[in-house]
Amino acid sequence: MSDMTLPAIADAPPRAKRALPPPMVLFGLVWLTLMLLTAVLADVISPYAYTALDLRNRLAPPAFMGGTWLHPLGTDELGRDVLARLIYSIRMSLLIAFGATIIGALIGTTLGFLAAHFRGFVEQVVLALVDFSASLPFLILALAVLAFFGNSMVLFICLLGLHAWERYARIARGLAISAGSQGYAAAVRQLGASPWRIYGRHVLPNIASTLIVSMTLAFPEIILLESGLSFLGLGVQPPSTSLGSMVGYGREYLTRAPWILLSPALTIVLTTLSVSLIGDWLRDRLDPTLR
Amino acid sequence: MIRFLGSRLLRAAITIVMVVTFAFVVLRLSGDPAQIIMGADAPPEAVDAFRAAWGLDRPVWIQYFHYFGAILQGDLGRSMRDGRDAIVLVAERIPATLALTLPALAIKVGLGIPAGITAALHRNSFIDRAVMMLAVAGFTVPSFVLGLLLVLVFAVQLGWLPSGGQDSWRHAILPIITLGIGGAAVLARFTRSAMLEVLGQPYIRTASAKGVPWRAVVWGHALPNAAIPTVTIVGFMVGSLIAGAVVVESVFSWPGVGRLLVVAVANRDLAVVQCILLLVAMTMVTSNLIVDLLYGLLDPRLRNQPKRAAGIA
Amino acid sequence: MTPMLEAKGLVRRYAMRRGLMGRSVEVRAVDGVSLSVERGRTLGLVGESGCGKSTTGRLVLGLEAPDAGSVAFQDKPMPPAGTPAWRALRSRMQMVFQDPLGALDRRLPIGAQVQEPLDIHAIGEAKDRPARAIEALRAVGLRPDQAARYPHELSGGQRQRAVLARALATEPALLVCDEPISALDVSIQAQVMNLLMEQQERLGLGILFISHDLRAVRQVSHRVAVMYLGTIVEEGEPDAVLHDPAHPYAQALVSAIPHPGRTGNRIVLQGDPPNPADRPTGCAFHPRCPVATAFCAREAPVLKPRNSDGRLVACHVAQGDVAPAVTQRAA
Repeated sequence: MSDMTLPAIADAPPRAKRALPPPMVLFGLVWLTLMLLTAVLADVISPYAYTALDLRNRLAPPAFMGGTWLHPLGTDELGRDVLARLIYSIRMSLLIAFGATIIGALIGTTLGFLAAHFRGFVEQVVLALVDFSASLPFLILALAVLAFFGNSMVLFICLLGLHAWERYARIARGLAISAGSQGYAAAVRQLGASPWRIYGRHVLPNIASTLIVSMTLAFPEIILLESGLSFLGLGVQPPSTSLGSMVGYGREYLTRAPWILLSPALTIVLTTLSVSLIGDWLRDRLDPTLR
Repeated sequence: MIRFLGSRLLRAAITIVMVVTFAFVVLRLSGDPAQIIMGADAPPEAVDAFRAAWGLDRPVWIQYFHYFGAILQGDLGRSMRDGRDAIVLVAERIPATLALTLPALAIKVGLGIPAGITAALHRNSFIDRAVMMLAVAGFTVPSFVLGLLLVLVFAVQLGWLPSGGQDSWRHAILPIITLGIGGAAVLARFTRSAMLEVLGQPYIRTASAKGVPWRAVVWGHALPNAAIPTVTIVGFMVGSLIAGAVVVESVFSWPGVGRLLVVAVANRDLAVVQCILLLVAMTMVTSNLIVDLLYGLLDPRLRNQPKRAAGIA
Repeated sequence: MTPMLEAKGLVRRYAMRRGLMGRSVEVRAVDGVSLSVERGRTLGLVGESGCGKSTTGRLVLGLEAPDAGSVAFQDKPMPPAGTPAWRALRSRMQMVFQDPLGALDRRLPIGAQVQEPLDIHAIGEAKDRPARAIEALRAVGLRPDQAARYPHELSGGQRQRAVLARALATEPALLVCDEPISALDVSIQAQVMNLLMEQQERLGLGILFISHDLRAVRQVSHRVAVMYLGTIVEEGEPDAVLHDPAHPYAQALVSAIPHPGRTGNRIVLQGDPPNPADRPTGCAFHPRCPVATAFCAREAPVLKPRNSDGRLVACHVAQGDVAPAVTQRAA
């Protein structure tokens, strides 16, 4: 930020006192960093290609369950290295979750701004859509769309992006209307500013913290949705792999080789837990008005 | 109150119309329905006959009205797998699903709400922390992971309970627990924050300051007010009784509506998917309607104004 | 020469709904207001809250379109709000708000916000604009180093100065001030008003000064118009109107100003405050008027010059058309 050495005033945003976050949040930050590094560096750190077969070592147990260090987390029914698959699954799941979160925020914020700017008919349409998507369980909607359109990676990400769009739309519309009715946005409008300038330069930065908090709260939900759909075999399709599809395929070997699904399952839990903790913490700090 | 009811009914109807329209649009967008339903290798004459029979050769808006009319008469098409009426196929599965979701709902309400209230009343105590830890865990552990872990422990390791199928009541225990625990966690979290918000209100402080016993403050003032947001969540849970077990039914191979949906999606059995979609929308809208009415009873202020005005939920 | 700003017969109606499905009730916020502002002059517009004076300000600026009537600025009709022509006109006409903190963007330093109108209207070279913004700040009595401050780091008076600097950065011809001082401490109010008058002299500004504060209006205005329930009921020189008001409502307003040494002759208005959704017949003021007659309840008076001294007033009694009713509730 550009506010360098200004003296802190009573009602200034609490930037000055930067205490260390609580240990759980710290853990979340560390774990999330680890996951991000894994996703970015997947090609470098992966011991094998995630499709490489090792038929002599099928269903080999991980090192800590009596296996060898050849495959630290064991292998699956085709002798594919679980660690390598886990690394690429993390990359895939995070990619989908990031893409979908950003798409959802973009769509929702845009529609919210459109509703606030045009009011009248446009607003009614947006609000009807908000009601509509808030009144159906998203999983069912997503399943219906997948049934009608079949599955492709792009469609899948866009579909998950529709999750929670209505929250951003509500927030963006509500805050833009209140800014426009008597606040800074009205002032800038009567300076002669174009809508682009009003929304891009003024309204968006003012509501960004609220939107970011909403994004951190939606992110784990999208990871859970993605893994749920992939677990059902309706999300990420082979030969690609994601955390959910690993659990789904590993389910068949639950009795003989539980390690196939335990590591991706643990990764899902820790990642969603981390982002939720960070999100709650951010919400309390940045925007206590959100529930 | 009549006006309130009328506006709610209107909104419910609009939602249903939107769901039907959504199904229609998506069906048309996804390709030639005749081709999809008849299959790619169907003879062209058969496809043409199908088009004529279903009116697919007429303008889109006429098709739309016919489609709407058919749905109003309960005609939701036939499953392309075994040719039976989709609605019958779905209806057959509902009891199995309810056998899981109703007991699970009892667990959610019976466990989640008291836990949330207790945590809020003893804020920052050991109980509060424990409840919150469990609630966060319940929220972040996906149901398929929880289900598989339960199977691993109770079916595979201990051998106490069966891991899947629907042969006896013992088969239902693990899926019910899986469903119930996750929902109870969400509900506990919501109830706690609703209670904390209410307990911080000036009228609570006033009531206890003027000497009303704490017990009476909690029962008489705090609980009724905290019930309002909680009712919304419970309403959503009631609304998803029919289709809230998609993942869990798959984990435990339980032959309910959710399992049917997953199989139908995988086979692109559009009539069945559409039927379930409408059914879920109806249940959801109905329970939302009931929630709105309860809102009206619980909070007289909301009777004459739209719910949106009550704040960003 | 025609005035710089001329508004004729402005009407603004709102549809107000009672409940979700209720019938909509028409509210006339502004009901046939005509006014004009000349270069270098100030028109004060007074009235209690809800009388439509802020709406009049917004209509005059073209922020809202009137349902009837017209606004002409420098002999040209006002283009519709939001159009490029309307936006371009913003460099000529500006507004100062009641709440300076709300009118400023809390995420941007003051300097950037004062510079913004120059950016929007592409005035001067881009590289010169920061200097011009600082010049504009200096003109309203802020220090150049305060350009880097954020709104919450300034006092209320400084914020209102910053808003004024932003409004004046493009050297507009018309300034509409909507309750510019009512959110400020009394000690700051005088400073801001003096600043307004200085700037008026410097730039030849025409000002529409909207306020409920009669003394402030009197201090800055060259003409005063009193509004009641969407119409102007009296208009004239400030000293004349505020010393010797002709309209019974204006008399009541003036008598409400606390005055040292004066006792007993305050006119206390009876009855409900006006509700624009439920406008009385005839003269809108008659239910509260101490001198209203039966005729006042039937016929609405028009704003016209009084015979005696040419003062513009909309009242049957003040015009001498009817004799004042004997009031039984005189103090």
